[in-house]
This record gives sequence, C-alpha cells and structure tokens, in this order.
Amino acid sequence: MFFSISLYLALAICVAGLTYKVWSWLTVSVDRRDRQYSPGQRAAAALAGLGRTVFSRKVGAMLRALLLDGLLQRRSLNHSVLAWVAHILLFVGFMGLVLLHALGTHITDSLFSNYYPTLDPWLWLRDALGVMVLVGVGLIIFRRLTVRGLRLTTRCRDRIAIILLAVIILSGFALQALKISSATSFDQMLEEYAGLSDPQNIKALRSVWAQDYGVVFAPGQTGADSELLEMGQELNQDSCVDCHSPAQHAFASYGLSVVLRPVALALDQAGGPDILYYIHFLACFLGLALLPFTKFLHLIIGPLLLAVNAVTDPPAMNPAARAALRALELDACTHCGTCTVHCSVAVTLGLIPNQEILPSERVASLAAKAHGRDGGRDHLVQMREGAYICTNCHRCTRLCPLGINLSDLWTAQKQDLAEEGLGAPLAEAARHAGEAALPSRSEKQVWVTTGGFQKGLKHSAQANTFYNCYNCRECTNACPLVFMSEWPNQELDLLPHQVMYCLKMGLKDEAMGSRMVWNCLTCYQCQESCPNMVQVTDVLYELRYLASQAARALEN
Amino acid sequence: MRFALFLGCKIPSFAPQYETSARVVLKKLGFEIAKMEFNCCGYPMRNDHFHLFILAAARNLALAEAKGLPMMTLCKCCLGTLKRAQNFLAQDPELLTMVKEKLALEGLEYRGSTEVRHLQSVLHQDVGLERLSDLVTHPFENLKVATMYGCHALRPSRITGFDNAYTPHVIEDLLQVVGAQSVPWAGRLKCCGAPLRERNEDLSLATIKMRMDEWAESGAEALNVDCPHTLLQIKWAQETLGAQSGEPARGVVLYPQLLGLALGLSASKLALEQNAPSPAFLTGRRAPAPGATKKTVSGGQ
Repeated sequence: MFFSISLYLALAICVAGLTYKVWSWLTVSVDRRDRQYSPGQRAAAALAGLGRTVFSRKVGAMLRALLLDGLLQRRSLNHSVLAWVAHILLFVGFMGLVLLHALGTHITDSLFSNYYPTLDPWLWLRDALGVMVLVGVGLIIFRRLTVRGLRLTTRCRDRIAIILLAVIILSGFALQALKISSATSFDQMLEEYAGLSDPQNIKALRSVWAQDYGVVFAPGQTGADSELLEMGQELNQDSCVDCHSPAQHAFASYGLSVVLRPVALALDQAGGPDILYYIHFLACFLGLALLPFTKFLHLIIGPLLLAVNAVTDPPAMNPAARAALRALELDACTHCGTCTVHCSVAVTLGLIPNQEILPSERVASLAAKAHGRDGGRDHLVQMREGAYICTNCHRCTRLCPLGINLSDLWTAQKQDLAEEGLGAPLAEAARHAGEAALPSRSEKQVWVTTGGFQKGLKHSAQANTFYNCYNCRECTNACPLVFMSEWPNQELDLLPHQVMYCLKMGLKDEAMGSRMVWNCLTCYQCQESCPNMVQVTDVLYELRYLASQAARALEN
Repeated sequence: MRFALFLGCKIPSFAPQYETSARVVLKKLGFEIAKMEFNCCGYPMRNDHFHLFILAAARNLALAEAKGLPMMTLCKCCLGTLKRAQNFLAQDPELLTMVKEKLALEGLEYRGSTEVRHLQSVLHQDVGLERLSDLVTHPFENLKVATMYGCHALRPSRITGFDNAYTPHVIEDLLQVVGAQSVPWAGRLKCCGAPLRERNEDLSLATIKMRMDEWAESGAEALNVDCPHTLLQIKWAQETLGAQSGEPARGVVLYPQLLGLALGLSASKLALEQNAPSPAFLTGRRAPAPGATKKTVSGGQ
C-alpha cells in the first residue's frame, strides 16, 4: 500500500515536472528575439520541423547520431577515455537495472518464461549491473576530484545526482546482503514455496541454508550432523533449487553478507531488511520524482537533442523552432564539465577569478537568467566579462557529449546582455575614453599632466618608446587606414604620429580617446617603419588596454 | 622531425581545410605531429587584457616545453602573438614571475625555450627548397598567384623572424617550387582587416574590400592566403558585398594545398572544395605527365 502510494506520488511529480519542462521550452527565452514567439508558434514550428525531417532522407543522419553519439557515446570517447568508460558503465548498469530489476515483473517476466529474481542469470546479473554503476560512480567522483576544471565547478546539483545514485545502489546491495543472511526472509520463503510443516524437516533445510547459502539462524535452529544435512539437501533439491540459485552468485551482495555475518542476526531481528527495503525503493522513487529537475533528465532530452542537432543548423533554422531548441538545450546540460575542461580560455581563470568564463557555468547562469533569476547587476557584469573573453572557437560545441550548440547560446547571450545595456567591453572602453577626452577638446583647453605618466605605460616593455618619437610621420605614412582615407584627420581623428606626440606631451586622455587608437588594425606597419624604434602598434595596444582597465574600474 | 601543431581557435571550426591539408602534406614529408591540446594563443585578449594575453600564450609555450617539442603554427596571428609574448616575457622579469607562479599551480614551468615557427618557415628552412622541388611530381605551369604574407607573421619582423618585412621572399620561393609565380600586387604585405572586425565592422569590411579589389586588378589566377583570419575575411566580404567585392578571380588557395597538389595529392584529400571560392581549376593546371617536367629552383630571389 505504502509502496503503491509512494510510487504513484513519485510518478505524478515526475509527470507534472516533465509537463512543466515542456511548457518552459515553449515559454522560456534566452534573448529578446526569442521572446517574440508565442508557445503556440514555437510548438508548431518545432513539430513542423521535426515532421519534415522524420519524413526526409535526413532521418538516416538522425538515427546515426542516436546510435553513435547516443548509445555508443562517441563524442565523449573522443576527448576522454576515462569519462567514456565511466559513462558507459553507468549507462549500461543503470539502464540494465531499470529494465531487468526495477521493471523486472513487467519487462523481463514477459520476455523470459523462467524469470525469478533469485535465479541465474538474473541473480548474478543484478549484482554485476550494480557493480558497473558503482564503479562508474567511483570513476566520476575520481574525475571530479582530480580534473582541475571539474573540481572547480562541481555544484550541489552534481553532488545530488552522485549521492542519489550511490544511495540507490548501495542500499540495494545492503538489502540483498541482509536478505541473504536473514532468517526471517528464509522463513517467508519456506512458508511461500516449500510448504514444510515437520519441525525436523524445517531444521534440516535450515541447516543446509545456514551452511551453503550463508543464512544466519538463531542458536539451536540448525544442526550439523550429516544425517540431518543429507535430509536437508534432499528437501533443498525438491523445494528450492528450481527457483533459487546459490546465493554466492550474487557475488557482491554475498561478499557483503559475509562481512556482516557477526551482526546479521541482530540486524535481522531489528527489521534490517525491511528498513533497507524502504530506503531502497524510496530512494528510487525520489530519483523518479526528481527526474525532471536533476541531471537525469538528459536520459530523455539527450537523445532528442542529439537527433535534432544532427540535422539542423541554428542560423538556418526557423527562429521560432530555434527559440524552443535553445530553451531545451538549457535544460539538457548535465553540467558534465567537458566544455570547461577543454575550454580554450579557461586558462584566464588564473588571473580573473570569474567562473562565468567557463562554459559549463555560463550555461547554468544563462538558464537561471532565462528563468528570471539573473543574480543582480554585478552578476550580469561578470556574465558579460565571460561572454567576451570567449574567443568563439566553438570547441565546446564540438565536444559537448549531448551536442548542445553552445556557440549559438553564446551568440544569444551576448545579444541578451546587450539589451540589458551590457555590450562589448571594448566598445564601452572606447566610449568612456572618448568621453574622457571630450572636455579638453570642446573647451579647447589642454591639460598637460606632469609626472607619474612616465610610468603610465608600463605593461608592455617597450611602450614608453613613444619618447623617441621625433615626429617624422613615417608611421602615419605607413598606416593603411591613412592610406584608405580621403581626409585622414577628419576621418581618423588623431594620426599615429600625433598620438605618439600627445603621449610625449603627457596628454594621455587625448591620446586614449582618439578614434585612431580604437580603429588601429594592428598590422604593425607603423612600428616596422619607425626609424627611431618607437613601438607604435604596441603603444596603441597598451592604450586600449589601459582604457579597458579604466572602464572596468568604473563599472565596478 | 616531431612538432606540436598549434591550430589556434579559428582553424578547427572555421578553416578545417587548413588543418587537413597541412596534416597530409606534413605526413607526406615525413613529419610527426604530436597529439596535444592547447588553449587560445592570447591574441583575442590582447586589446583589453594584457596579462591574460601573456598568460594564455605562456601556457601554450610551457605545454610544448614540457614535451620538449617545437611548436608549428598555421595561423599567422597565433605565430605573431606567441612570439610577441615570448619577447615580452624575456624582457620583463616581473611579468615572468607572475606567469611562472600561475603556471606552477598546474605543474607547468615556463623557461622560454620553446621554438615557435610557422609552417611555411619550416618548409622553407627545414625541408628546404631543393628537397621540396625534388619531391614535386605534379608542378603547375606558369600559374599566376597573388600572395598575402599576413601582418602578424611578417611584423614586427625582428620579433617574429618570419622574413624581411619589406622584401620578403619565403612565400615566393615556396611558390616557385610548385611552379607558381607570385605576381606583384598592392595587397601583398597589407592587412586583411580581420583585427578590426569586432571593433569596427565597416572599416574592417572596407579594408578587405580594398584587398579584394587589388587582387582583382592583379591578374592573378588564384589568391594564396595562409592565415585563417584572412580566409574568413574573404568569405565574409563575399557574403556581405556579393558582386561588389570585386571579381573573385578563380579561387583562394592555402599553400599546403598548392604544395599537396604539386606532390600529387588529390584535391579531395586537401579539402580544396572547402575554400571559398574553391580553386577547383587548379587540379587541371598541373603538368600533365607526372614527373615529366621538374622545376629547378634557384634559391631565394
């Protein structure tokens, strides 16, 4: 009764959660363009796209992706053999247990005529699958602890999934171990299957099970003389072996029961097997209920996403369908950390302690923001920093085991942040620098800063070479932008030699705010052609850097 | 010889044909490429995060150093950036200390001994023109090519060490080996506009348009480009400007693709079809009988 109630409750929560998720794919938006599509439009576009694909030649590509990337997990094999082994063990072990064990009476029983959970191969297979899951969980914990990117980003969500899996499997093993040694369980089986009433017979059978199967009985319930055992063996042959393989075949549980043997009787009398049974099935039902809200959701969304992304190209997609796809991708991310481990700018975390640089964290923040939890202005500024440190190399997209098109999400993220007034930092820095330079220009006043500035350009070793400038204009003559302009001074603002000369005069703001600095192509023609070793391009680089620093300071 | 191939951020996703063709050609020439994963070279961060640029570059150099391998780049901006960072670190002890500390956290050490070179330098100096011309079995006949050297490989020349910044000849030599002739044209040593694309799209586009116009006037049959950024600029200009972007001549080609064709490799192995525009005509421009006409090379210019 309690079992059924909790099962149906868990199922109800699961179904409600899934419904909520589907609804969110139709309503949640990453950027403003996605927001303009109603749930109806999104659903129609997604179904139409799906329908068109399924009835086209592309279905082959979808099936291929499902087989290679879904079942065989080719994508994770490509980047880490250990991660692949861990995931395959988990996948095969867990799915095997769900089908053979949890749904045993529905699935296995209907497929095989002689299904008894206590009979080989089911008996040992269950243990083998459980061990696979445990080893998989162990490898995952090992990777989380030893791989730097994973260690840094492990969140509550990851721990919950690992703990839930571990509790389900460990309670299963413990339950099985206690049942093996449990006299109560033996008595139940005796009553149900053997139908013996003669106390001597019962004692004989008990003696055999105590000796061969590892059941622990209260003192005096068993005997050791050979006649009794012989009788017991006969009874065992008649009543038991057809439906019960040797308990040793459940190798892991049996091993555990041997360890627990000294306390087995006490545990059995205290109702240990019952308690563990409750823990085990309640943990399973908790997993079922939480499925839509934990990373286990990828069991459902993953295949869908792999199939869809095998045949679609986001920029070419129907925008309404793409909006739904993006929302689905936000849910699909399991925070496995593959993207972060291989991120080509993760190195920058050494200097900027901002987790929003790491793709796995960016997806999480993107998802939170799409659900209305943006974490406040400071967090948005951090998100912007991460978004623009990203070099758009698409490595994350190529590696994501679920095929999430992260690059497309990053484009949407930038768009979304720009709508919040957080555009490209470099553009912002240019604007600030321009504004700072403005007063001196409009009022025709020039403030010569004296002192201190000599040390102003200190980051690149040769930046202070602007002092060497003797205004020969070789740099300006070499500049391709000057070459392209009809009226260089009007179109480009200060020219390279003027920027150098400004610096020489201490007019840092003037120099930094000039459009020349921000439009520099960095082709190094000016620097190469300087006869007096002024590192013109490097100086311009440095000015952009200083202006960016100042803009960042202003923001904080 | 063994190299750590540095692909950078752009090539794997946006110019995979560069990696494909470089790998088959290097394999054919007997080079061994170590399997390594690098991070960003630091180039995109240089404008607003000087220290990130240095750290990113230094980590790559330290990774290669740990394996005792020289680095070979394909992207010219990666080459320039790694070289520039090496130079900064050699001159600034404070910067070096910062980098060493940060890298030590993941067990890496930066000693500054990694040799960084571009594919074309390796072909020119290590394989040598003589050996290359011996290996060429399918030379082109009088193929007129306009080449772009790539700013960040060429300059600052004292730091990148690619070639003389005003009278470079490495690429001309390499072209001559495969039977191609480098035509004089205005854009040869100039900028493609890529560095400005994120800061000022219009100006960036105007820059590449100018190069494309100059190319159209050059009379060259193909444009030889060996930087993924320039490839992307050309593609972008064609998509954005369409017919206005000047007559796109007959195709863009990477040097390893030209060399591969001259070595007798097929167009599909060199992923020629992935270029935009694809220089499909090149396969027909090779000498008819394999090995019948061998070019003799006079060395530099």
